[in-house]
Amino acid sequence: MLSNLNLSLFLAYKSITKGNKGTLVLTVCIMSLIFVNLVFTASIFLGLGNTVNNQVINTLYGTVALEPKTDEKYISDVYSLKQKINSVPGITGISAQYVTGAAFSYKDKSGSWAIRSINPDDERTVTTIHNLMIDGEYLSKLDSDEIILGKEIPGGYGGDLEHLSLGGVKIGDSINVLFNNGVSRRFRVKGVFDSNFQQSNNIAYISQKEMESVLGLSDKASLILIKTRDLGNEGSYIKQFLELGIKEEIKPWTVYAAMVKNITASFDMIALLIAVIGLFVASVTIFIIIYVNTISKRRQIGILRAIGIKESVIIHSYILQAMFYAISGTIIGLFIMFFILKPWFITHPLKFPVGFVSLLIVPEKVMVNTISLIAAALAAGLIPSWMAVRETILEAIWGD
Amino acid sequence: MVEESLIGIEKETLIKIKKLTRIYIMGEVRVPALNNVTFDIKRGEFAAIMGKSGSGKSTLLHQLGLLDAPTSGEIIIDGKNLLSLSESQKAKFRLERFGYVFQEYALLPELTALENVYLPAMALGRRKEEYVKNSTQVLEQVGLRNRLHHRPREMSGGEQQRVAIARALINKPDILFADEPTANLDSTSSKQILELFQQLNIEIGLTILMVTHEPEDRKYVNRVIWLKDGELAEQGT
Repeated sequence: MLSNLNLSLFLAYKSITKGNKGTLVLTVCIMSLIFVNLVFTASIFLGLGNTVNNQVINTLYGTVALEPKTDEKYISDVYSLKQKINSVPGITGISAQYVTGAAFSYKDKSGSWAIRSINPDDERTVTTIHNLMIDGEYLSKLDSDEIILGKEIPGGYGGDLEHLSLGGVKIGDSINVLFNNGVSRRFRVKGVFDSNFQQSNNIAYISQKEMESVLGLSDKASLILIKTRDLGNEGSYIKQFLELGIKEEIKPWTVYAAMVKNITASFDMIALLIAVIGLFVASVTIFIIIYVNTISKRRQIGILRAIGIKESVIIHSYILQAMFYAISGTIIGLFIMFFILKPWFITHPLKFPVGFVSLLIVPEKVMVNTISLIAAALAAGLIPSWMAVRETILEAIWGD
Repeated sequence: MVEESLIGIEKETLIKIKKLTRIYIMGEVRVPALNNVTFDIKRGEFAAIMGKSGSGKSTLLHQLGLLDAPTSGEIIIDGKNLLSLSESQKAKFRLERFGYVFQEYALLPELTALENVYLPAMALGRRKEEYVKNSTQVLEQVGLRNRLHHRPREMSGGEQQRVAIARALINKPDILFADEPTANLDSTSSKQILELFQQLNIEIGLTILMVTHEPEDRKYVNRVIWLKDGELAEQGT
C-alpha cells in the first residue's frame, strides 16, 4: 500500500518537475486565476454587504437601539435609563435622540427630510458623523439655532438626488424648518456631512436642547442608540438590558439593516450565483487541463500498464498531479488576494451608493473555495485517468 | 512437464499455448488474426516468431505477454491458465514474471535511464538501496555505465533500447518478450542488441520470445516459429 503511494508520488513528482515547464507554469497560473476569481467575487460582494452594515451601525443606529414601548410616542426617564444601560459591561457609547420629520425651505426651494436631535458629545461615542464633515463644522453642545445637514439636503455638494435638494445652501446661510407639530424655526447651517450612504445623507441634526424647546419635552427620546464593544453579541447585551428591567423595545442593528436587506440579499444572491458558476467553470477548466495532459500521456499510461504498474497507482499519480496544480494555484491565489488585491483595495476602495467598498476576505469562504477547488481538481484528475486506464493496453500504446 | 531436447538435455516446458485464436471485430467485419495456434515454449529457449507482415506475429506476442486477450484458447504457465486471471492479477503477473522490449523503446521521457529501469522494482515494493544497486548493475551489464542519469532524449536509439532491455530484466523475469526490438535501429545497434539477447539467453538462461521480420536474425535464436495468415506454418531451429 505504502509502496504504491510512493510510486504514485514518484511518478507525479517526475511528471511535474521533469515535464514541460511551460505547461506547468500555465496550469498553475490558470489555477491561481480561477481561485482569485472565486475569492475576489465573493469578497467584493461581502465587502459591499459589510459596508452597508457598517453604515447602518456607524451613521444611523449604533449596534443596539431602544425605541418607545408600543403605544407610546417617546421613551421616558432617559437620564436614569442611560445610567442603567451604562452599567452593563462592554457599552462604549449611548446617544439619545429625538427623531421627527420636518419641511425645510430655503429661498424658493423646499423639501421634507428627517431631523434628529443629539447631544453632540454623546453622539460622538456612537456614530461617526462628526468625522464625516465635508464643509463647516460639527455641532457643539452649546449650539442652539444651528443645524448640520446630510449631503443630499443643501444642494451643490454632489448628492445623488440633487434635484430634490434645497438648491445650493452654503455654510452660514439660514434655512427655515417647519416641524411636524407646526412649530417653525430658522437655523443657521453650521456644517454639511457626507457618509456616502443615502439613508444617512438625508438626515439633518440639531442640538437636543433646541429640539426639546420645539417639542416642549424634557428627559425623553424617540431613539436611544447604543454602541457595544463587540459586534455579533447583541443578543447577550439585549438579555442583560431585559434583566435590568428595561421595558422599551430593544432592537439589534440587524433589524434596521433589514431595510437595506433586499440590497444585501441581492448581493448575496449574485455572489452565490457567481460562485457557483465560477466553480463550475473552474471544474471544467481544471478537467480540460488535466484531460489534455492525460490524453497527451496516453501512450505512457499504456507503457506503465504493460510493464505491470497497477492501474490504481497510475490514477493516483494523476490525482496527485491535479492536487499539486490546485494547491499551488490556491497558494499563489491567496498570495495575490492577501498581498496584492486586498492592500490595493484598502488604498483604492470602490465607490458605491452605499459607501466605499473594499474587499472583505472571510476565512470560512476562502476555506470553502479552497476545498471546492481541490475537490474539483480531485475529480478532474480522477475522471480522465480513470478513462485512460479503461482503454486496452494496446489501444493506449499504439492507438489501435 | 519435461521433454527431451534435440541435444539430450531435459528442458522444462515453460508455456503451453493451446488453440489460441484472436479475432478482431471491426464494425460488422470479423478479422481473424490468429487461428487455433498451438505450441509450447521451453524454459531457456530463444525463439523468434517470424512471418510476413500481417501474419499475426505481434498479435501472438501480445496474447502471450498478456497485453491483449485472445478470443479463445489457453495460455498455461505453471499449470495455470493465465487467461482466467483478473486484470489486476495479470498486471501482477506481468510485473513479476515478464519483461518487455518494444520496437519504439517505450521509455518514460521524464525519467532518467536509472529511474526507467528501477520503476518496475519500485512497483514490487523493493527497498530503494536494493533497486538502485540492482538497476545500476543491470545498466552496467547492458553497457550503459556512463548513461545512468541521462534521459531518453539524450541517448541514441540503440542506447534507449538497451535501457528498455535493462528495465525488462530488473525483476528477473521468466520470459522476455521483444516485439521487433531492432526495427528502428541501424545495423550496428541491431547487432549489439541481438548479441545482448543471445548473451542473456546463454549466460542466465533467460527465455526470450522475439518477433522479427529480419531473416538474418535467425542466426541468433535457437528456434523459429513461422506464422502464415494467423496460423502456425512451421517450426525449426
